[in-house]
Amino acid sequence: MRSREEALLSEILPPEDRVIEAVVARYQRVAPAVTRFARSLASNDDLRIRLGSQASAEPGEIVMDPGVFQAAYARSAPVTPSEVALASALHEVVHMVATDLDEHRALPEEWFPDAGEPLPEDPVSLLDALDKAGGPAAEAMFFSIEDARQESQNFDLYPGARSVLADLYLASIPGAMGRARPMGQFALACFLAVGGYQDVDTLQQRSEVHVSMALEEARDLIDDAREASDGWETAGVALQLLAVARLHGLLTEASPDESKTRREDREKADQNEINTGVDSLRLMSPIVQDADSYDQTRKAMQAAESLQGRPDDAQTGGDPATEQILRVSEAPDVHLPTGQGGKLLVTPLPSRFSNYADRGFEALETAARRWEVGERHISGELYPLFVANQRRGLQSGFDAGDLSPHAALFLGAGLYQRMFERRSLPTRRAYSISLLVDGSASMLQPRPLPGGVKAPWAMAAATLGAWTLARLCDELQVEFEVALFNRAFAARHDDTEQTYVQRAHRTKGALRRSQGSAADRLTRTVNHYVLKSFDNRWETAKDELAGLFWTAAHPADAAVEARRNPASAPPVSMFEKAANVDELNVQHAAERLGRRPATVRMLVVLADGMTRGSVDALAATVDGAEHGGITVLGIGIGDDTVTNAYSRHQVVERPDELTRAMIHGVRSALRRSIALTGGDTWWAHVSQIENTITRSA
Amino acid sequence: MAKTVTFTDPTGESAPVKLEIFDVPSDLADHDQRAGKIPEPDPHYVDLGMLFRLALVEKVRREKVTDTPLHLALRGHMGTGKDHDLEQFAALLRLPYYRIPLTGEVRDITLIGSVKLHGDGKGGTESRWEDGDITRALRGPALINLSELNAAGAETLFALHGLLDRYQSIDLPTGETVRLRPDTRLFGTLNPTDLRDYAGTQTLNKAFADRWVIWEKGFPTDEQITAMLQRRYPTMAEPYIKVISRLAVEVNESFTATDARTRVGTPMSLRTVLDRIPAGLWVYEHAEDPLRRSWESFVIDHVDPFDRDHYETVWSAVARKGPSEKPFGK
Ligand SMILES: Nc1ncnc2c1ncn2[C@@H]1O[C@H](COP(=O)(O)OP(=O)(O)OP(=O)(O)O)[C@@H](O)[C@H]1O
Repeated sequence: MRSREEALLSEILPPEDRVIEAVVARYQRVAPAVTRFARSLASNDDLRIRLGSQASAEPGEIVMDPGVFQAAYARSAPVTPSEVALASALHEVVHMVATDLDEHRALPEEWFPDAGEPLPEDPVSLLDALDKAGGPAAEAMFFSIEDARQESQNFDLYPGARSVLADLYLASIPGAMGRARPMGQFALACFLAVGGYQDVDTLQQRSEVHVSMALEEARDLIDDAREASDGWETAGVALQLLAVARLHGLLTEASPDESKTRREDREKADQNEINTGVDSLRLMSPIVQDADSYDQTRKAMQAAESLQGRPDDAQTGGDPATEQILRVSEAPDVHLPTGQGGKLLVTPLPSRFSNYADRGFEALETAARRWEVGERHISGELYPLFVANQRRGLQSGFDAGDLSPHAALFLGAGLYQRMFERRSLPTRRAYSISLLVDGSASMLQPRPLPGGVKAPWAMAAATLGAWTLARLCDELQVEFEVALFNRAFAARHDDTEQTYVQRAHRTKGALRRSQGSAADRLTRTVNHYVLKSFDNRWETAKDELAGLFWTAAHPADAAVEARRNPASAPPVSMFEKAANVDELNVQHAAERLGRRPATVRMLVVLADGMTRGSVDALAATVDGAEHGGITVLGIGIGDDTVTNAYSRHQVVERPDELTRAMIHGVRSALRRSIALTGGDTWWAHVSQIENTITRSA
Repeated sequence: MAKTVTFTDPTGESAPVKLEIFDVPSDLADHDQRAGKIPEPDPHYVDLGMLFRLALVEKVRREKVTDTPLHLALRGHMGTGKDHDLEQFAALLRLPYYRIPLTGEVRDITLIGSVKLHGDGKGGTESRWEDGDITRALRGPALINLSELNAAGAETLFALHGLLDRYQSIDLPTGETVRLRPDTRLFGTLNPTDLRDYAGTQTLNKAFADRWVIWEKGFPTDEQITAMLQRRYPTMAEPYIKVISRLAVEVNESFTATDARTRVGTPMSLRTVLDRIPAGLWVYEHAEDPLRRSWESFVIDHVDPFDRDHYETVWSAVARKGPSEKPFGK
């Protein structure tokens, strides 16, 4: 990770390394360790840590805004980007874990030396108490000192990360000290001294004479702050530091007959001086920046929860551009055998499609009849093949059993429970089939049908094929997966037409503003919608697939419906007209398939036309999958690109051809597997099969 | 009067334990060979309290639990020093030390023995019984360390059952019964079943586990590693010792994390800490950053590729750069 040659931030980091995606990518490399550190620091093994556009902290979860990290890369200091990735994340974690100002206490008497009458005894929050005692300047001083205290106490265990922070800060001292006004200088010096980044002597040399004298007097207080055990104690020290500053004339003098507004202005000005001084140097962490930012960080979570009911969906009403960038950055990287690769957004299909399930079931029946796809007889025909082959698998398992000559003895002694042991039990799960359906808008466009008419049949036929094969697999107890792929603005699982369109609109606008020409790449992503995963039951996916079929068979009706009831309709606008990147999807599906404990793996891709990537890359991907033991079948719908990319391919021009092509493909895979395992039964012979098929068709 | 050895509690909490040491009788057929198996005390060994605890148990079994078997097994991750503890315990008690690994490939014939054919010198052959590893060790005073208990195959477990329970003997096919002598001790070591499949399969066979008292041995703490490094490398510069100890503790904490996403698959064993990194420091003594160089070629190269980012993040957080002084020769 850390190549010794990695550039330092003191040389200028190229812009592409500063974009937020690069920041997130770098964060992801350190995330596992940082999360573990955070859990140790918080003594909470279940603490969740994630990125979001709105920083927030509550006992069980920390959300970090990568924009905060990004700011660190803009500095000039002798540190490398990977060091910054770690230090900025750990910095954020430390403050998020350590900051808790919620404890209420009665106003401490020593904070009010001039109080004539007894103080109220009701417990108040720290920030309220501080405001009463010292106003805005006290708040600013407190947050600076508290920030430094937390760093000096919590980075103990991580001196490496701490030294990165120190380098970042030290590089900024001359500029920050030079720019700051006296009170700002004093606050900044206190921050650096409490944090242990620089000693008082050195700081005095850089400060104006009044500031230097104030620092001299503040030495003990600085030590106290470093040792303080909580926020209340730090606040007490902050007030005393302000008193020292006042004594040395660093704070604006109050006139004896000052009006309320005047006083407020004066206090604001002092606060401003402190903040500007300290902020020009420290790494910003929203939770210890100021009172507003603290409140926002603490409350963002509750607000999100009450608005959405679910905090974990990254829909926290944050900035849409950042949310989208995070979504893209956090998506898995898919690597092709050609060395190329890209991000693939893998999500479940929006569940709203199941709204159309009933119409879908009906339409499926009609279509099956019209396109002559008898579901029953297909499974009826394949059933004996599967059962026979599976039984064989079972028996060979017994053959391979490892029988010890002491077996009888062991059984008697209770050491063995069974006579035969097998390492894995690949019986029912011996087959894995994955189905990838092209979900680009062109699949929804009218195409010629026999008889000269035109209808939007491609996606419909593909969905019908998926449906047929899914039922088949379910019946034969073959595990399977169905996914839809396209390239468009990615929908979320809970999207309606309305939320989808609105988010797409806001995100595109925001990204165009913040990212310029990169906006298109970030909004038009390569998406992989999982309709049914290997681990889900078919029952749970049925409705969505049926609903999707209806949408595909009646795209115009679906569009009307979506316009009429956008708040409840599925996001039909997600089918954008943009060319796909088939190879990323094929690669991803092949990898998932490769991890299944199966002996026969098959991937069927139903595609329409060109891939936006390259046909060569697609061919290499298919080839790689085949070499990995996966039978890949490419079915081109009205387009012969598949012939160049898939060694097993078929081009179909009519809906009824499609389903038959799929079934045929699965059947030959089965035959191949039987041939490979050396089985020889009557039904494995081609001619017999062909006969059976022709007869039943 | 018999010689004794005194074990002190490193925490200072309990009174020292005084034990008579064992004696290898001179009339044993294998006396010389057996006496040669008494380990030497390791001057670099730091007792973290394990020897004292073992001594307490030894005392109890001599005084109170004389006829029920009491076998101790130490369970800990690789390189936490389990075997070393047992070996040093044997050294202090002057017991011949036999370490017998029970890995899956070991057959019962290797452990127990078998009938071998020998030339009788007259052109014919005669068959003769030949002791296996365990049987041989049992023929005199011994501390037998059955290491990797949980890797033992069914055959091995079966062979050992009788020895471990009240029967305290092994019956040989020759009709001979080899009994556990009062001056023989059986110990075991095992790795915790990998955290990744705690719910899974390779836990210790229940019937077998029931014959042992199992003690957990965790990863050493910061201070313990520091003490070991100081003992072993008196000239190593303090900042090195500090950083190496911290690195080990942090990595091992990541190794034991419950969440698979925040975990490393390779712990930093005592061998890495006490042998490899210091060796690297010697090798790169004159390099600009000896610790970093040692880390790169003696640690990172041993780590699974998917753990490297995590290891390196720990490095950055804890060290970032190695100490600037020379590693040895303070
Ligand atoms: N208490 C100790 N003091 C000093 N060195 C120790 C101590 N314990 C272990 N060591 C050293 O640590 C290394 C590993 O110890 P040992 O082989 O006993 O570990 P183990 O837990 O038995 O590991 P494994 O199960 O992998 O064999 C050895 O080099 C040993 O000398």
